[in-house]
Amino acid sequence: MIMKIKSIYKVPDGKLLKINADIDETNDTIKDININGDFFAYPEESITELEKILQQKNFKRKDIIKIITTFIESKKVQFIGIDAESLTEAIMRCE
Amino acid sequence: MKEKWRLLLTGFQSAAENMAIDRAILVANSKKMVPPTVRFYGWTPSAISIGYFQQLQEEVDIDVCKNNGVDYVRRITGGGAVYHENELTYSIVVSEDHPKISRNILESYGTICGAVIKGLSNLQIQSSYAPINDILVNGKKISGNAQTRKFQTVLQHGTILTDVDVEKMFSLLKVPNEKIKDKMISNVKERVTSIKHQKKETISFDEVALAMKKGFEEEFEITLEQGTLIKEEEELAEKFISTCFGTKQWNQKR
Repeated sequence: MIMKIKSIYKVPDGKLLKINADIDETNDTIKDININGDFFAYPEESITELEKILQQKNFKRKDIIKIITTFIESKKVQFIGIDAESLTEAIMRCE
Repeated sequence: MKEKWRLLLTGFQSAAENMAIDRAILVANSKKMVPPTVRFYGWTPSAISIGYFQQLQEEVDIDVCKNNGVDYVRRITGGGAVYHENELTYSIVVSEDHPKISRNILESYGTICGAVIKGLSNLQIQSSYAPINDILVNGKKISGNAQTRKFQTVLQHGTILTDVDVEKMFSLLKVPNEKIKDKMISNVKERVTSIKHQKKETISFDEVALAMKKGFEEEFEITLEQGTLIKEEEELAEKFISTCFGTKQWNQKR
C-alpha cells in the first residue's frame, strides 16, 4: 500500500518547506518525494538529485538526516533558508 | 579609471521574455562575450514569477491569472512567488571571480542589495538589508531578491516596488488556508511598502531606473554605459523562450 503524505513547515528564521511524499507502507520506505518551497539551494539541480537518492530509503529520522548530511558534504551543496536538520524535520512532519 | 559595465534598458516585456533575457546574459557573460551587466526592466502584461523550487499550481491560481490576463513563469532562481506589476526589476550578471563579489553567497546578496539600498537613498528613502533576501524600509519590505550561480557566474534579480496592490496579489496567489485569507492580506499590507507609499507621490519608472543606475555605480565603483543585447544573446533568449520559460514542461515542472 502506498500512502500519500505531506507537510508544510516554516523553518525558524528561515524559509518555507513543502514536502509531498509517497510512503510504501509494507516496508516503511520512501517511494517518491518532492521537496518544494521558497528556499535557495546551490546548485539548484541538487534538490532533484537528493529527491532521487531518498527513494527506497527508510522513512526514519536517523536515516534521513544521515543521507541529507552526507549528500550536502559530498556534493558541496549550499542551502540558504533551510539546513539538513530543518529539511529532515519537514520530511518527518509529513502526515 | 573606473571599470565599465553594460547597462541594459529593455523596457516592458512578457514574463518568458524577461526570464529568457536574464538567462541569456548569464550564459553570454560566462563565455566572456559581454561585460558585467546591469539590466532594468518591467513586465507587460503583469505577471507572477515563482521560485525554482515552487510548484506552480500550489502557488498560483492559474484560472484567475488567465481571466485577468496575468502571465506566469517559473524562475531559474530560488525564493518565493512574486507579483510583478508596479515595480522596477533589476538584474545583475557578473563573474563569481570579480573582486567585489564574495564567494560567500549570503555576503554577495548583501553587496548587491547594497546597490539597491544606495539607489533608494538617491530617492531619499532610507532602507536596510534584511537577510536572507529582503530590503526593508522602517521594517516593511520594499524589495525582494533572488540569486543563482552557474558557470562561475552570478545572476541576481530583484524587484523594487513602486506601488503595491496586496488585494490583487492575493487574488492571484493561492493561500494555504482560505479562512485566514483576510488576516493574511491585512498582515501583508502592514509588512509591505513601496516607493509611492514612502514618497507620498508616484515616481516614474525612468526616475527610479536613474536612481538605481547611480546606486549600482556607487556600490560597485563602476561606470554603467548603456548598451544593447548582442546577437548571440538575442538568439539564446529566443531559444530559452521556446525550450524553457514559454513551456508548460518548465513552468509546471515541480
